[in-house]
Amino acid sequence: MSVAPQTVAPPGVDVASARPRIRPLRWVAGVVLLVLLAQFAWFLVTNPRFEWPVVGRYLFDPNVLRGLGMSLLLTVIVMLLGSVFGVLLAAGRLSGFRPVAWACGFYVTVFRSIPPLLQLIFWFNLGYLLPRIPLGVPFGPTFVSWPTNSVISSLTAAVIGLTLHEAAYMAEIVRAGILAVDGGQRDAARAMGFTARQSFVKVVLPQAMRVIVPPAGSEFISLLKGTSLVSVIAMADLLYSVQVIYNRTYEVVPLLIVACAWYLVVVTALSLGQRRLERHFGKGQR
Amino acid sequence: MSDTPVLRIRDVRKRFGDHVALDGVSLDVHEGEVVTVIGPSGSGKSTLARCVHQLESIDGGAMHLDGELLGYEFHRGHLRPLPDRRVAAQRGRMGMVFQQFNLFPHWSVLRNVIEAQVLVHGRRPEDAREEALRLLQRVGLADKADAHPRTLSGGQQQRVAIARALATNPRIMLFDEPTSALDPELVDEVLSVVLDLARGGMTMIIVTHEMSFAREVADRCVFMEKGQIVETGTPEEIFDNPASPRLRAFLSRFSGRAAQISDERLLKEETTS
Repeated sequence: MSVAPQTVAPPGVDVASARPRIRPLRWVAGVVLLVLLAQFAWFLVTNPRFEWPVVGRYLFDPNVLRGLGMSLLLTVIVMLLGSVFGVLLAAGRLSGFRPVAWACGFYVTVFRSIPPLLQLIFWFNLGYLLPRIPLGVPFGPTFVSWPTNSVISSLTAAVIGLTLHEAAYMAEIVRAGILAVDGGQRDAARAMGFTARQSFVKVVLPQAMRVIVPPAGSEFISLLKGTSLVSVIAMADLLYSVQVIYNRTYEVVPLLIVACAWYLVVVTALSLGQRRLERHFGKGQR
Repeated sequence: MSDTPVLRIRDVRKRFGDHVALDGVSLDVHEGEVVTVIGPSGSGKSTLARCVHQLESIDGGAMHLDGELLGYEFHRGHLRPLPDRRVAAQRGRMGMVFQQFNLFPHWSVLRNVIEAQVLVHGRRPEDAREEALRLLQRVGLADKADAHPRTLSGGQQQRVAIARALATNPRIMLFDEPTSALDPELVDEVLSVVLDLARGGMTMIIVTHEMSFAREVADRCVFMEKGQIVETGTPEEIFDNPASPRLRAFLSRFSGRAAQISDERLLKEETTS
């Protein structure tokens, strides 16, 4: 039997003296979390197959660090190229000239539909479709040409494949950001005599960044992890480097943990960078 | 008063799909003249302001600023639209104040007033800054120069917007319902700035719902309905002696409400003094 709560208070009552309510479900949730955490930690520490000493030995192995460097390099290149093409595609989709808008929309539809893994393999095998890459007048004479297989290394195939994929996603993110900027802002910019480009660069884009940064941050993070796909075209990224080692030593799990640890470190750093950018572009909004 | 009007609007037509927004509007605005435009909502008066500023294209007719055709040029005997850069330069010679202020929220108040001077008119940043501070002083907001627009009241934001529009020395100022988005008690601070400009000899077109203000500030008043100018004349002719039944009907609908507002203001002034 519970005591009926009393709501008629004596005169001079002050709610500042109230005690917090006891919330039993919170206690239950807290205990469940603690038990799970303890169980997981116990599993990590007591299971000898994690081979923690092996993890420690390979964490700073030169080959692993080289692979990490390659993953980072690829991420940065694709991030930059993908963002530039993404902005251009978004601007194109919002263009008043219909053929350009349609072409950009068509690009986005196509390259969002193709799995990046498929693209990587395709670009790596471009030499089959096009033995030499020509430079010349369309339908006219060719000035120079290069053999495709010497131009398309695994790095160029990776950059092309991932950039085309990334640009399509960035285009949609940037477009959403631009559409989120109030139309009155563009009116005001044009009314003051800004050209279309000045109003886009000075007024619309900086305000769109507030909407663009959070999803673009997630996109970059998934791109970093997406670079692990390039191991299929024998490019020595982080995942491929640990694969090379465990194919020799058979220490599969510890080496996957090494890769895992590095991905975690880099993604955490990216998340921190994203938060700073959000704060930067959020100013003036609140 | 010179012979060439600052702004000449001739038989301008504009439609949005099936809706005819402007149905052959003609209007001349001379140097130093203040023209107020009144009319029911949907009568095309805001569209007129937007078309003059080339924020909307027009379907027919012509507009001239100081005798120069707006938005088009002759090329080998044919008319063709101007390139974006030249249209932008023409817009830079006019000032526009919007109903929703439309200040740039990512810039400080001061930078809002500086930027067009530097970007569009190529002034030196130091000179632009000096001019901006002078203009902010003129609208009574010199102390808010470093504030961000979002921290200001609606009335203050609109005064900054006026300073921003003035910063490029416009030949003519266009006001598109400058007080319609304001709380009633903030309307007067904006109107007094506009009145001050009118007394200073600025050429202006003011689209407004504030009838007593439209009458007080105007040299000439224009009544629009259904995309046409129904009647134009001195404030006395329009408000005391409306010729057309449509204007009479419009004013009678308005007089009740306008009287009520000014009564409230009187009441407030009495209680505060």
